Amino acid sequence: MDLLIDALIEGDRTRAVSEAERLIKAGVERERIVTEGLEVAMKRLESKCTLEQFNLLEIMVAGRAVMEVMNHVYPGGSRPVPAKGTVVIATLEGDVHDLGKNILRMVLVADGYRVVDCGRDCPVSLLVETARRENARAVCVSGLITSLIPLVRLVKGSLRHAGLAGIPVIAGGAALKMASPESLNVDIVCDSAFDAANFLDNAGGAGT
Amino acid sequence: MNSLERITATLQGRPADRVPVIAQVFGHAAVASGVSLGSYVGDGSVLARCQAEALERYGYDAVFALMDTSVETEAAGSVLDHPDNDYPTVQSYALASADELDDLPVPDPRKAGRMPELLVAARILREEVGNDTLVVGCVLGPLTIATQLMGMEKALYCAIDEPDRFRDILDYATELAREFGKAQIEAGVHLPLVFDPAASPAVVPPGFFREFELPRLGALFAGFKRHGSLANWLHIAGPAAPIFPLYPEIGVDIANFDYPVSAAAAQAALPATCLDGNIKPLSFVEDDPAGITREAGQLLDQFADRGRYILSSGCEIPPESSPRNIEAMVRAAVGRK
Repeated sequence: MDLLIDALIEGDRTRAVSEAERLIKAGVERERIVTEGLEVAMKRLESKCTLEQFNLLEIMVAGRAVMEVMNHVYPGGSRPVPAKGTVVIATLEGDVHDLGKNILRMVLVADGYRVVDCGRDCPVSLLVETARRENARAVCVSGLITSLIPLVRLVKGSLRHAGLAGIPVIAGGAALKMASPESLNVDIVCDSAFDAANFLDNAGGAGT
Repeated sequence: MNSLERITATLQGRPADRVPVIAQVFGHAAVASGVSLGSYVGDGSVLARCQAEALERYGYDAVFALMDTSVETEAAGSVLDHPDNDYPTVQSYALASADELDDLPVPDPRKAGRMPELLVAARILREEVGNDTLVVGCVLGPLTIATQLMGMEKALYCAIDEPDRFRDILDYATELAREFGKAQIEAGVHLPLVFDPAASPAVVPPGFFREFELPRLGALFAGFKRHGSLANWLHIAGPAAPIFPLYPEIGVDIANFDYPVSAAAAQAALPATCLDGNIKPLSFVEDDPAGITREAGQLLDQFADRGRYILSSGCEIPPESSPRNIEAMVRAAVGRK
């Protein structure tokens, strides 16, 4: 498993996929490759990415390798819904920047969550409806522009209005992380995708 | 002292009558003048009028011939969505793949996209303020242009998977920026600010910056100086302190520091460079004048002995900011001799 973990952290997707294939052929259970390979690799990457050293490029490259291994281990999204549950993510209406959201998706998948991605430029109503339909454990919104903030403030109330008051709202992204959770009316404002994963791991949440 | 004299003295470490204050007012100038952002970023004469009105209203030390971060990529062939009341965004990128670079001509700033309109704005603003106020143009840095030509994810993966090809794209972007900046200088800006958010250590590690971006920024700035630029102003947002020690090698005269970097850290990393920053941009929307006054006062105190400082925001003052907060920042500098 160490060889797989090393390849993932280095972002070497070819070597990572071939290591995963070797483990499968050796009889290692597919879910073990996820929990003891992918999840461990992302945890190590997180500890490497302190606040001073955090950068999107290294996370992107490792995340891409993680997603390729996941697709190889569970082709066509055939992985059963993991016990950690489902998280719905989006970049809200008016913001077309989605790199931060895409990185969050990779980190959450690697951390063992099922992720439903509502994409960019997403209306709050679609985010809430998706959270309801997918029995979401949490919703995450990412934003790069400050003009998005009034919409972010609506998410919590819209969830409550839909009878989903227990679902935590997680915010992140360059613009949103300038604000406080109280100001945004969310449960937490995260500095990085890892913070979001840690919040979910530690605080739990509603839904499955 | 007029604004230009004040900034020139500050840059050279000479005494000035007060600390210069530059509000990074771009789209907010449109909002303050009751003009749609769409008109502002599409019409150079409208942009110039709004900038002149904002200068008159707020009384800070610079105006900006600056539209948005899509001007370069649109001129190169990207298709934008131009909403009436927001900044434009890229709908389809000029480079669907890195292989298409060979067929992509460097745009002529006098003809391509909205570049000519930006030159109109530069010309009008310089005619209006002459050498009383600093007229600032803007080009994106090569790495940021590359991400705007291909999309951020595709560009960064290209850098990892095809580094030689990515260098070609950066060289193209550098040439594009050089031509655009030179045209802005000829149109009348005192200097073209180089805005390079994709080069932030939040996006790429310092080693990547040193290898890919540093030599190109150095060449870009050297070319601007040869063409008559007053000073080299580099603006990399976010937690940029790890790359600050590289700035002297690039030839940076003014370094923007954003709110995640403390004044002490910026001073320690760049002891001899003029710094501008770093009030949190969102504070201009969410805080009140008393809060801005307090934050500005702390910054002025921190730079009182050092000098070589321009009071500013860490990045763009958001369009929806409260005018009273911008007034408070300007008052903090003007009121302290």
